[in-house]
Amino acid sequence: MPADDSELLSRLLAGDQQAFRTLVATYQGAMRAVAIAIVGSAHADEVVQDAWLAAVRNLDGFQGRSSLKTWLLTITANTAKSRLRKVRRDVSLDDLPAPHGSIDENRFAADGHWSPAPLAWHEDSPEALLAEDELRECLEKTLLGLSELQRSVLLLRERQGLELEEICNLLEVSLSNARVLLHRARLKVFATVEHFEETGEC
Amino acid sequence: MLTCKELVARSSDLLDEQLGWREKLALRRHLLLCRNCRRYLRQMRLTQATLRLLPESPSPDSERLADHLAELRRDSARR
Repeated sequence: MPADDSELLSRLLAGDQQAFRTLVATYQGAMRAVAIAIVGSAHADEVVQDAWLAAVRNLDGFQGRSSLKTWLLTITANTAKSRLRKVRRDVSLDDLPAPHGSIDENRFAADGHWSPAPLAWHEDSPEALLAEDELRECLEKTLLGLSELQRSVLLLRERQGLELEEICNLLEVSLSNARVLLHRARLKVFATVEHFEETGEC
Repeated sequence: MLTCKELVARSSDLLDEQLGWREKLALRRHLLLCRNCRRYLRQMRLTQATLRLLPESPSPDSERLADHLAELRRDSARR
């Protein structure tokens, strides 16, 4: 168990309100991403709510064998799965069209070279890119255009920093499927930033 | 030699350390010679960093939820 966790945990056990606010603010997003991947957005909020209640009920049983984050995400995944009548066996790898396309085969000549070549972007830090309100909105739009599973895999990996293996275990998808989902999602987000850098608009 | 198209197809696996050393070497060799792919990979890393920093839309009820959870915890500790 990480050091920050044990400090937070002792305050949680004491019922400290501020500690619970920190806990919810820190992990709610990741829990939502897990829930959406398994039951879809329509039921995700209910699942997250139930998972929080289960976590509080079982707080005394938290042994610190894993991080709080892993523990909470496992509870969320289990809560979500128990809601499903049957566990989804076939993972949809359907690729929905994105607002600015992707880096697909149209970007390459017959010999496999870039055509056209990637343009150099104007900004070279994430802070500078995100200073543009329009790009932020544009990215949100692209994220919403991804399938729920694809979006969750992307956010769990990039925003929450989960290892691929952990994502596969939580969502019960194979490593190869997770790799495909993640790669396609990244290319769409890349295409969105590229489009914005090229045209200055969304 | 590996094409640009093949490099892009394997770029996520490179970023996620999912490649064996032989494949990794082939990609590195291509990158050494190909400015376009170096640029692509650099900008893909920038895209990743941007997603990491993209603010999460806060859920409006989260403080109320947290306060409710704290209350539940205090109740069960009292019992």
